[in-house]
Amino acid sequence: MNIDTSELNRVKAAVAETPGLRIGIGRLIKRFGERQVLHGLDLDIDAGQLVAIVGRSGCGKSTLLRLLAGLDEASGGDILLDGHAERDLIGDVRMMFQDARLLPWRTVIQNVALGLTGPKTEIRERALAVLAQVGLADRADEWPNRLSGGQRQRVALARALIHRPRLLLLDEPLGALDALTRIEMQRLIEQIWRQHQFTAVLVTHDVSEAVALADRILLIEDGRITLDETVQLARPREHGEAQFARLESRVLKRLMTIEAINSRNQILGKVTGILVDSVLSEVQILTEAGLVAATVLTRSLAEQPLELGAEVLATFKSNEVVLATTA
Amino acid sequence: MSTRNGFLQRAWNGLLPWLVPIGILLVWEASARFGWLSVRILPEPVAVVKAGVTLAASGELWQHVKVSALRATTGFAIGGGLGLLLGLLTGSFRKLEIALDTTLQMIRNIPPLALIPLVILWFGIDETAKLFLIAFGVFFAVYVNTFHGIRSVDPALIEMGKSYGLSGWPLYREVILPGALSSILVGVRYALGFMWVILIVAETISAQAGIGYMTMNAREFLQTDVVLLGILLYAVLGKLADVAARLLERRWLKWNTAYGNGI
Ligand SMILES: Nc1ncnc2c1ncn2[C@@H]1O[C@H](COP(=O)(O)OP(=O)(O)OP(=O)(O)O)[C@@H](O)[C@H]1O
Ligand SMILES: [Mg+2]
Repeated sequence: MNIDTSELNRVKAAVAETPGLRIGIGRLIKRFGERQVLHGLDLDIDAGQLVAIVGRSGCGKSTLLRLLAGLDEASGGDILLDGHAERDLIGDVRMMFQDARLLPWRTVIQNVALGLTGPKTEIRERALAVLAQVGLADRADEWPNRLSGGQRQRVALARALIHRPRLLLLDEPLGALDALTRIEMQRLIEQIWRQHQFTAVLVTHDVSEAVALADRILLIEDGRITLDETVQLARPREHGEAQFARLESRVLKRLMTIEAINSRNQILGKVTGILVDSVLSEVQILTEAGLVAATVLTRSLAEQPLELGAEVLATFKSNEVVLATTA
Repeated sequence: MSTRNGFLQRAWNGLLPWLVPIGILLVWEASARFGWLSVRILPEPVAVVKAGVTLAASGELWQHVKVSALRATTGFAIGGGLGLLLGLLTGSFRKLEIALDTTLQMIRNIPPLALIPLVILWFGIDETAKLFLIAFGVFFAVYVNTFHGIRSVDPALIEMGKSYGLSGWPLYREVILPGALSSILVGVRYALGFMWVILIVAETISAQAGIGYMTMNAREFLQTDVVLLGILLYAVLGKLADVAARLLERRWLKWNTAYGNGI
């Protein structure tokens, strides 16, 4: 099925007053075999809002996003987009994954134009225009494997934008990037979101990212929403601000208490050393398993000072653990 | 080190791998000239070259090469084409896999050369028998690798394609086929190697034309130089096929840094 997007957009423009989709989720249930992941989740999101979802690994964030994207079927409950059944408007929904998922055998611009139909020159023009928005117009004819991780994500963003989505779903799109690229990408996403005014749902495990970008922060715990914080800070937000830090630490504390109850993917330890550098700092933690070095943003160290000897919980994502045999 | 020394060093390094072959050729030529080596066992290298020139000049050589090459490519096209088609089908449709794959895997265990007596019974010793053997041998290498290639396309990319509105043929063209291509080409290269082995055996058993016919004929008249020429021709043709496959890989997989060098 090829969607003639230009035609569709014209119809859409006539029908919709706002570019963003309104989301209504009611009693949403998702089971994988015996295992229930979402337990009757209720959630309403206003058109044009940028909502961040945080929660510990395995709590069902990606599952929720995949249901919203129509990539999986719900086991119960319903999802309404602008009051319509999800299926009717699924062409307006685009998803950005943690791995950029670019086709390695297509050039950057071919990737961006994926799924578009119409005259070649027109498509190329449009693709170049969105590539310019993400600052990659000069790399249009290169292979994706020549790009850095951050650049690949920008191509993925361009690929989503060219369809003029009314709902953009972002599943930890910045999770694999280094700290600086990450902040750059956050700015870019915020700028593009303000310009296009689509609704956006961002899953992240970085609380400061959520505070920096979101209108609203949701915490999912055990397949339910247990914290719903509206963020009223003016944009653009500066990480140093007192209000910013307060909100960040409140959400973090809440997350930490959940982490403390669940013992998956975490090690308890004591801070034994802090090596401060201009951008990234290293915190050495003595755990039962030995010495663990954690790289953190110097900025977040300044916002949340750590003392030598403090008890900390080092957490890591289950899909980022590498197992190697010791033999 | 001075540049002059560096140049000598490089020239020497370039020459080094060729010293032993050149030495062997010289010793061989000398042994034949001085009668230490019977011409019936091994003709001198120069004689092989002469035989080649004579046969080429009379046009006989090209005739044989043409027949053999045509035989090989026809058998390859039939077997490889069928392998590709069935591999694509069983790789793409579960139902067809269930229906066909077990049978194909069972037949795959038969070494093609073991079929020779049966094939002679079926088709006699004419052209059909040779084409059948080549096609049979080539089929499985292409089939297995195509099937495997389709199955190992990254499901994340397929999901991405679907979520961007691709399905049916566009999904196949943009995502599945290119994703399976490197594996398919591995199968093609392997099949090409196999193709020559079977061709040589088939032509040695019986032929009325072709390189195999030429060498078997020469053997009867004790023309060791022509026999050796035939062996060399097989080697050259095999190498050419391999080079062609490599060029295809470079062209079609140029996005992959392991093959091409980018744009
Ligand atoms: N296809 C699937 N089949 C079976 N179980 C699944 C499947 N997908 C997810 N799950 C399970 O559902 C739970 C929630 O997974 P999900 O990917 O939504 O977590 P998440 O919150 O995104 O975690 P993370 O932060 O690590 O990405 C996990 O326990 C996971 O094992
Ligand atoms: Mg996830």
